[in-house]
Amino acid sequence: MPPDHLSSTFAALSDPTRRAILARLVSGEATVKELAEPFEMSLPAISKHLKVLERSGLIARGREAQWRPCRLEAGPLKEVADWVEHYRRFWEASFDRLDNYLRELQRKDKKHGRDKEQS
Amino acid sequence: MAGIKSSPDTEISARELVFTRVFNAPRELVFKAWTEPEHVAQWWGPNGFTTTIYEMDVRPGGVWRFVMHGPDGVDYKNKIIYNEVVKPERLAYSHTGDANSEPVHFQVTVTFAGKGGKTELTMRTVFETAAELNRVVKEYGAVEGAKQHLGRLEKHLANM
Repeated sequence: MPPDHLSSTFAALSDPTRRAILARLVSGEATVKELAEPFEMSLPAISKHLKVLERSGLIARGREAQWRPCRLEAGPLKEVADWVEHYRRFWEASFDRLDNYLRELQRKDKKHGRDKEQS
Repeated sequence: MAGIKSSPDTEISARELVFTRVFNAPRELVFKAWTEPEHVAQWWGPNGFTTTIYEMDVRPGGVWRFVMHGPDGVDYKNKIIYNEVVKPERLAYSHTGDANSEPVHFQVTVTFAGKGGKTELTMRTVFETAAELNRVVKEYGAVEGAKQHLGRLEKHLANM
């Protein structure tokens, strides 16, 4: 996937309305009208959000009916989730080392007692 | 699975990532481990990484320059500027990149909350723009080579 794609995905995810729309689509296809219901927004405003989501590949829209139902596309979300996972692992791993290191420091510091968390 | 939440202790809201972890040590010690070079070099980065620290001036406006050596032999230069230093509770700094490498800009705030002899650490990373985030993605893409190490570590974490 070209790197720019990921950045457009993040940009698309930066808006709370769009995240809410995606969350709604997790449970299945929906029309623009259905998606607009929970929001105090006009249909054109919702349509704008949908266009952003569609451009970034986060959703796809059916062609068969004139109301063009929207559905979630898992690919770009997975890219984001993978990246976050990568970054998280980096820090999990560092925190793990920090955890061990802190234990070591404390063992050195207080040789007299409190050794029981060595496991 | 809207990609907004990927695990209970990781949240992504647009340009921000938040990690938390509880350490079984008083926060004075945890803070020390984050702010004194001889300590930081002992744990920064996943297993297999080593860190060379060239300067570390922990005060507002102070600079921290270091290189991370990946297990695959790749070096990652880093330059950090401290924005806020409140001993032993809070640390805020900016990753600014280095003169010789592509600048990567993101802000990190680390808070150390004391909880009866333990420390709850919260690390908040904010990316200035999606483009910056994208650049970081590329940098960390290079860390792919370290995945085996990460995999092993993950197993270790699962057994803890």
